[in-house]
Amino acid sequence: MTSWDLAKKNMRGNARNYSIYFVSMLVSVVIYYTFVSLQYSKGIEAGMSSSQNLRTVFLGSSIVLALFAAVFIGYSNAFFTRNRKKEIGLYALLGVRRKTIGRMLLFENLILSALVLAAGIGLGTLLSKLFGMILVRLLGMDAPTAVGFGISLEAAGGTIAVFALIVLATSLHSYRLIYKFPLIELFRAEKMGEPAPRVSAWAALAAVLLIAAGYASALRPIHTTEQFALNMGIALVCILLGTWLLFRAAVPALLAAWRRNKSGFYRGTAMIGVSQLLFRVRGHVRTFSMIALLSGITLGIFSIVYIQYYFAERSTAESRPFSYEHASVDPAFDKSVHSVIDTDAAHPVVARLSIPVVELDASLTNLQEIPIHYYSYAEPGKTVSVLSASAYNEASEALGRRERVRLSAGEAAAIRPMLDDQTYAEYKGKSLELRIAGEKKPLPFVALLEGRVLSWRFPDLFVVVDDGTFYELAQAAKPTIFEVYRVQGQEKAQATADRLSALAAGRDDVRLNMYYSEYKRTQEESGLFLFIVGFLGLVFLAATGSMIYFKQMTEAHADIGRYEVLRKLGVSRRELRRTIAWQTLFVFALPLAVGTAHGYVIMRVFTAGLVGMNFTIPILLSMGAYIVVYFVYYAACVYSNDRILNPA
Amino acid sequence: MKTIVEARNVHKTYGARGNLFTALQDIDLTVMEGEFVGIMGPSGSGKSTLLNLLSTIDRPTSGEIEVDGVSILNMDEARMSAFRRDRLGFIFQDFNLLDTLTVKENIVLPLALARTNLGELERRAHEISERFGIRGILDKYPYQISGGQKQRTAASRAIVAKPSLVLADEPTGALDSKSATDLLECLQELNVRERATILMVTHDPFAASYCSRVLFIKDGSVFTEVGRGETARPLFFKKIMDVLSVLGGGASGVG
Repeated sequence: MTSWDLAKKNMRGNARNYSIYFVSMLVSVVIYYTFVSLQYSKGIEAGMSSSQNLRTVFLGSSIVLALFAAVFIGYSNAFFTRNRKKEIGLYALLGVRRKTIGRMLLFENLILSALVLAAGIGLGTLLSKLFGMILVRLLGMDAPTAVGFGISLEAAGGTIAVFALIVLATSLHSYRLIYKFPLIELFRAEKMGEPAPRVSAWAALAAVLLIAAGYASALRPIHTTEQFALNMGIALVCILLGTWLLFRAAVPALLAAWRRNKSGFYRGTAMIGVSQLLFRVRGHVRTFSMIALLSGITLGIFSIVYIQYYFAERSTAESRPFSYEHASVDPAFDKSVHSVIDTDAAHPVVARLSIPVVELDASLTNLQEIPIHYYSYAEPGKTVSVLSASAYNEASEALGRRERVRLSAGEAAAIRPMLDDQTYAEYKGKSLELRIAGEKKPLPFVALLEGRVLSWRFPDLFVVVDDGTFYELAQAAKPTIFEVYRVQGQEKAQATADRLSALAAGRDDVRLNMYYSEYKRTQEESGLFLFIVGFLGLVFLAATGSMIYFKQMTEAHADIGRYEVLRKLGVSRRELRRTIAWQTLFVFALPLAVGTAHGYVIMRVFTAGLVGMNFTIPILLSMGAYIVVYFVYYAACVYSNDRILNPA
Repeated sequence: MKTIVEARNVHKTYGARGNLFTALQDIDLTVMEGEFVGIMGPSGSGKSTLLNLLSTIDRPTSGEIEVDGVSILNMDEARMSAFRRDRLGFIFQDFNLLDTLTVKENIVLPLALARTNLGELERRAHEISERFGIRGILDKYPYQISGGQKQRTAASRAIVAKPSLVLADEPTGALDSKSATDLLECLQELNVRERATILMVTHDPFAASYCSRVLFIKDGSVFTEVGRGETARPLFFKKIMDVLSVLGGGASGVG
């Protein structure tokens, strides 16, 4: 019998064990192939306005995916091989040369991988159509662009290449395994855990404090980029260390405390459950820490991206209040623009205005000295835009808003910059000082306006003065006239937007800003990121869920003896099932809970400036997805463990 | 005097049709309260099977078994577990201690499972550990103590809930002679002082000599039975050896 025959025979006999490994590899292949084939899909590419963007992002993500797949398969392979140590030992004992065993394992791996790749690419072809449709939807493309149903050769080639590498690596690893262990070790049981790990209350406390400090540092309101970097750096280190310490010290400490509490411990199956967990907990530290941190990051990013996507419309409305806006520098240009917009019957003009704006150099004002943090951006060289009160009110009305400003002579109002959370309380008592023609004119702030009326630019410094003051100002500094239009159905005005872009091509002086292009860009960008982050997040969820599941299965096999004793001592099956379910819950829920907390903080940090938006739905969705997927793994795990430990 | 075990016409067969193996054949057994009964026989004679049947771990193919007045045949799983927990105590050859628990926790496990009052639980733990001479190692883990101490822990666990019947399966099998003697002395004392009913399966005639009565099983049925009466233990030992030599010719399981 050759190694080849032995391998085939082996596989048939080992079918059950192989199925777990097979499934996990299959899933990895399917996901990777699906993702990569989307990248090469002609339909999607054509639909995107910025295909370069799509390409790069997809490429980066597929690398991340490949790395995930490598780690996950590596882990599954290690788990699988460890379960076979006894079998390998048996072969060696029977006199089979290690070289032969190695070759046999290699053949097994090759057969398996070939099967997996074939099945995976087949399944992936089916799934990529499904995911293609989801992606199209997210990108807001109108026509259901044909994603193309057929095997993408480049994708298949790429997949095979990547997984061939992974398979090679794992084969080498198992080959080495045979040579690494002396024969006796292959028969020896796995390393025992510690029934009574030493716990340090100080370390436990340190863990909690570190995490709290990390959170505090991250959530501190920031004023400069350097501060931000510093805060986040501190937060990162604190949270990393704190999380690791949490699992290494705090959790064991808690369990040990429970154990010392006799009335809580000497009660029913608590004795079994708590001692089991304490026994195993040291072995889980690295896995838990990794899962908590990475799931925190994924959750955080997913929430952020989702929020961005959810509010694409809203944020565009804030940054581009009017459908079309341009500076009036050339009457012929103005006329062409006007006619293009007018002739767009599908999107009739609802309002049209000319807004005069005095664009003052910030050095001619005192804004930089006003101690409201956004105004630190009012450096010399930057522009402060000044509007008249009536122009503001006109614009506000044209935009269908109710907000109006009422200024007496010599008063001023500020418009709240986008993404900032200023309140009028900060302005009370302060004045805007205009320094024109040698004069210093202080204008007290009497209001803070919420509605922005012109396109966002950096820095977003707008102030409104009374008509009289504006008139004077306009004499000293020539105002720029902005022609603004508001049309119906601005989210769909693609044709007009394209034509206007063409007209304004190469002309920076007209400063054309359109709602449609910004909306489309935001939607595409956030839609794309949402898809990718969601996809990767799901993959990551599945991978970590599987890892916990495998680990639990291994431990269950080692626990069979203990549970037999319990059955003999008279613990009923129901009681055993309950303690199994409880212990498994602990193992799944703990890293998830910590990860959720981290994710929430991350989300809060990056959405700090988004005032007045209700985040409930995005948050519920992202955390909900996590909980659902983990719950499925949890249920499967309890079921499997129950079957192993609690047989009828 | 109460009857603790009453087994009538007990049969146990394994396997499917055409491939039947009879482990036990028409066994009758009665054990009264306070007896220390030994069951001996060569390997494969069915003695462990019998013990499994009496301890509700296995079910007979036919026959009746009553333990402490309760028929254990048609009990559902939940009741059987409760019965095992409250009325039976076990001592196994390989100790079967939970290595995740300390000696003390191992001992009180049955009480904890039955949600016994904490004060009562502690009292019992102290009393029993004193009795078996393991008071000093209460806080140690199984991997830190000797085989003899482990078995005494297991014995403590077996009687801590004051069971009606203690079942021991080759309790001295894994022990050196001194530890074995210690354990057997403890069991005997339990039997004499507390009138604990003990049923012990063994192939070691030395262990069997501590019993008040020994049954010999061969090929699934009872071969013979010897009682100790007032005989001194060494003499009883000799009597057992005689039976064994008749039983086996080249008596297996000796020495």
